[in-house]
Amino acid sequence: MNEMNCNNCQRWLHGYLDNELDTATATLVAAHLEACLKCKHQYEEMKTLIADVKEHVPYYEAPASLTRNVFSAIQAQASPAASIWQTIQDRSRNWFVPAFSMAVLAASVLLYIAVPTNQNLWVDEAVSEHVRSLMAEHLNDVASSDKHTVKPWFTGKLDFSPPVYDFTAQGYPLLGGRLDYLQHQTVAALIYRYNKHIINVFIMPTGEADSSPASLSARGYNIVCWQQNHMRFIAVSDLNRGELMTFSQLVQKGM
Amino acid sequence: MNHRADVKRFEELFAPHMNAAYNLARWLTGNESAAHDVVQESALRAFKFMHRFAGGNARAWLLAITRNQSYTWLKQAAGNKWVSIGDEMPEDDLALGHTETPELSAIRSQDTALVRQALAALPPQFREVIVLKELEGMAYKDIATVADIPVGTVMSRLARGRTMLKTELLKLYAHE
Repeated sequence: MNEMNCNNCQRWLHGYLDNELDTATATLVAAHLEACLKCKHQYEEMKTLIADVKEHVPYYEAPASLTRNVFSAIQAQASPAASIWQTIQDRSRNWFVPAFSMAVLAASVLLYIAVPTNQNLWVDEAVSEHVRSLMAEHLNDVASSDKHTVKPWFTGKLDFSPPVYDFTAQGYPLLGGRLDYLQHQTVAALIYRYNKHIINVFIMPTGEADSSPASLSARGYNIVCWQQNHMRFIAVSDLNRGELMTFSQLVQKGM
Repeated sequence: MNHRADVKRFEELFAPHMNAAYNLARWLTGNESAAHDVVQESALRAFKFMHRFAGGNARAWLLAITRNQSYTWLKQAAGNKWVSIGDEMPEDDLALGHTETPELSAIRSQDTALVRQALAALPPQFREVIVLKELEGMAYKDIATVADIPVGTVMSRLARGRTMLKTELLKLYAHE
């Protein structure tokens, strides 16, 4: 480009304003602007316009709830079970048949070890999710005290059906339900209230045998865990130990 | 590649650009809840096709997906009528800029509401380059990636878009 006239300048002016021109072209534009009042005026006007847009046009930031939803959904997509199976499949292609069966055996042992049976892991994450649910003002995905509203809401969102009961009569009204993520798996969270205290009950399938409610505490919260009918229950609250145990026994008997 | 590594890679690459994605979707759809859905869907797609990301500008890569999802939403919102995203107006026809127009500087676009309204009134293909350049501060080559157009077209589209914005502002002031 070796000729700079007003017509060309109309277009190059913007590359010039945005510092996107090579030195040679920028020099030509600068020289034309010095020589042509009309283009110089245009340049000043655009400069003002750009500054005004930068100053007055709002930049919309992503709401915290959106970012949270996005990362929950990503974690849910990347299910650990699927990826371990994928690994087994990928590896098996290169192996002989006897080796393959050994591999499956080895992998199933690995799977058994890799799946966290350690209750502490669950409890720790459950407490974090409890705290997060209170902070993020995202207690309920479905807000209802009616178990006939909450229970069907989970259908199609989970591959298991969590037991949902309302204990308003006993002083623990059901506030609603929510999908949550513990140990990279989608779990049901039921939210109950006792006076001013919020109780999160996390429910997920487990292969472990039934066990009676056990009380523990972590980071200032009380927790009650038990297994029942191939479901793991974790109740978390700032309720005192005795009250939370009473509540947990209600949930346990509810079914 | 195990899932933990995938999630970690996704977080490293794209978590810093959630605001950029939301801002673009919000400006293109003009609608809060649509922008929410568009970004959610875009992030899931970015995760699903992350193996295709061959390095380079992660923000531009994510925004390209967000832009496509935004246009998909716009088309659906228009009742499946075709929303023009092509160039009906010739890019090089910039003669408009040199016709005698009133002095913008005389009235200075100080009013936030008016500037926002003027930008929202532009056709999406001009609105998006202005959002990407002025609000996101992106380089032409990255805008080219997002909008899927040559770098030269970025410059002419900005030239055209800014001129249209000026005209739109003058129109709004006339109504004040």
